[in-house]
Amino acid sequence: MIGAGPAGLSAAVEAAEAGMRVAVFDENAGPGGQLFKQIHKFFGSRDQNAMIRGFQIGRNLLARAEAAGVEVFLNAPVMGIYKNHEVLVKIEDESVHFKGDNIIIAAGAAEVMVPFCGWDLPGVMGAGAAQTLMNRHGVLPGRKVLLVGSGNVGLIVGLQLLQAGCELVAVLDAAPRVGGYGVHAAKIARTGVPFLTSTTILEAKGDGKVEKAVIRKVDSRFQVIPGTERELDVDTILMAVGLSPMTQLASCAGCDVEYSDQTGRLSCITVTDEFCETTVAGIYCCGDFRMETAEGASSAILQGQIAASHIAEQAGYITGEECGARIAKCQETLRQMSGGMFSVKNKGRVDPTETDEGYPISRSLLERGYIAEEELQNYPAASYEAEGVHPVIECVQNIPCNPCRDMCARKCILVNGDITNIPLVDQTKKCVGCGLCVANCPGQSIFLIDKTSIPDYAAVSIPYEFLPLPEEGQKGTGLDRSGAPVCDALVMSVKTSPAMDKTAVLTMKVPLKYADSVRFFKAEGGAE
Amino acid sequence: MDITKQRRIQEHPILGSYEKGRVVHFTLDGKDMEGYEGEPIAAALKASGVMTHRYTAKHHKPRGVFCAIGRCTDCVMIVDGIPNTRTCITPLKEGMAVQAQYGVQTKEEWEASQEAKDGE
Ligand SMILES: Cc1cc2nc3c(=O)[nH]c(=O)nc-3n(C[C@H](O)[C@H](O)[C@H](O)COP(=O)(O)OP(=O)(O)OC[C@H]3O[C@@H](n4cnc5c(N)ncnc54)[C@H](O)[C@@H]3O)c2cc1C
Ligand code: FES
Repeated sequence: MIGAGPAGLSAAVEAAEAGMRVAVFDENAGPGGQLFKQIHKFFGSRDQNAMIRGFQIGRNLLARAEAAGVEVFLNAPVMGIYKNHEVLVKIEDESVHFKGDNIIIAAGAAEVMVPFCGWDLPGVMGAGAAQTLMNRHGVLPGRKVLLVGSGNVGLIVGLQLLQAGCELVAVLDAAPRVGGYGVHAAKIARTGVPFLTSTTILEAKGDGKVEKAVIRKVDSRFQVIPGTERELDVDTILMAVGLSPMTQLASCAGCDVEYSDQTGRLSCITVTDEFCETTVAGIYCCGDFRMETAEGASSAILQGQIAASHIAEQAGYITGEECGARIAKCQETLRQMSGGMFSVKNKGRVDPTETDEGYPISRSLLERGYIAEEELQNYPAASYEAEGVHPVIECVQNIPCNPCRDMCARKCILVNGDITNIPLVDQTKKCVGCGLCVANCPGQSIFLIDKTSIPDYAAVSIPYEFLPLPEEGQKGTGLDRSGAPVCDALVMSVKTSPAMDKTAVLTMKVPLKYADSVRFFKAEGGAE
Repeated sequence: MDITKQRRIQEHPILGSYEKGRVVHFTLDGKDMEGYEGEPIAAALKASGVMTHRYTAKHHKPRGVFCAIGRCTDCVMIVDGIPNTRTCITPLKEGMAVQAQYGVQTKEEWEASQEAKDGE
């Protein structure tokens, strides 16, 4: 196994649990690949690690690998794969040869770049680099940051910059719409960070380091529009413009690689069959290294299981029947996860106008990163009125996620049929205001609203993942979905619990007429 | 730079406080620096506000941390006399001597070679 990220580790666990002898090589000092820098709660379904933070998924995988007797070699870069499955590994300045009956390459992907004047200045970095510095090493990547690219990696890193205490000046995208999940964008937008779509970076300026960024609008054909330049004062520019699978080890091993646009952009990928096997028998690849279906760690884990099951069957460790059942289950989950408007097949498609349910698409969410108030009426779970406390769900795109349904002990929330369907509220069930749905929605798109318990006021509960945590009785300002101040707000309670896993539920009192507008709290005097 | 004044996250809303090694001393181009044992050299430099790790050979342009996972080689420096060391994945140790890299040389070597060129 080459690479101890989610793909390699899950394949290792699967193979070792089937009784095979497994060695994993990784060039890093610690295992986990990209997982240990991912501190957000994962999307998906509960049997696919939904609601669990990435680093915890990594810890769980490692514990299973250890229990299954997987041997992990760290600080062990694989330098080449040669004829007859010969693997050359550098271990403590020596070249060591290993041989495996089967090899799985799960070496991940690299961040891609777009060139612009000054892109090589210190202070221009990959968004993943900032994520590594903040979340693994506790070091601030910069103070005033511009983020270029609004795909999911960019949006996730954007929120993490705010959590680490950086100022996020803006999020740019050359496309006319936000590329990643609207719910990820909305978390950033409501703190007041502007989304600038149809905008690109022209130049990074500064003496030996980034001091300014020059940005410019582009038209629908990505041509810059003269006279639209703006300069932003920033010390850091982060690029989140995509990942590209690495193919070097596969080429070295003699596997066919080809140019393909199935990842949404032309990149070199390794040719594989449905079991992740390359054109060289016994050599497989999976995870970001293969990058075929939905990106991300959940899909990497499933692909690892598919490859390992196939190997275990070929080598006689499990029956064909067992293998078939396991692979079918993984493939069904992959199919479900890769559905919806963000699926690979829908990328680059003309904007859809309706959700799978037939609701109009929120244009504001796509263009500005938040839902406009007048659009809310299009979505039943976001706009119904009820007596007392009740959940309002502002999740309006078809994304593969459903833990809200399982979190509610009262069964107030429904996600019917496919996992990509938009949640609904069963109004015959009575919400008790426990806040578990608010804290555990990975998109942080559920709010509790109570318009009837305090005369002339409403209680609005929001998910809150910043420090310092506001306290009961604290005064501040209620911000709307775009981060604009709306009214005074008073903190009524701040709930935390192990079941909420570090997402606090903050309840604030706001004038009744702002109940549908206020979605964030900014403490008086302090930063948000 | 004194470790308490560095650009570090003291408490994180999700991760709490960070597990770090002991405070160690090292030098950057002869200047005294502080960092935590075991963290990447580049993390300690970033925390102290150091942006430039090296200058390119041909155009003499500054470069700093770019990928932070050992892929791009923009962060290479001379560490204990060994050039081309990727500082983003090399753990910091007590007493390390870190130097900015000019092409693949030290500043002194590079300046000497420039003078030799000018003399030609
Ligand atoms: C910088 C970065 C940040 C990301 N952030 C997010 C995020 O926040 N959210 C999200 O959903 N997805 C994110 N992704 C996508 C992420 O890659 C996947 O979620 C998932 O980690 C892929 O798993 P993997 O096992 O295929 O690859 P990885 O997790 O990348 O693991 C591959 C491992 O192989 C090792 N390796 C590579 N080459 C060799 C070699 N020659 N010898 C030995 N070892 C080798 C690598 O060092 C690494 O440890 C990010 C990707 C990157 C690159
Ligand atoms: S920053 Fe890319 S190798 Fe160190």
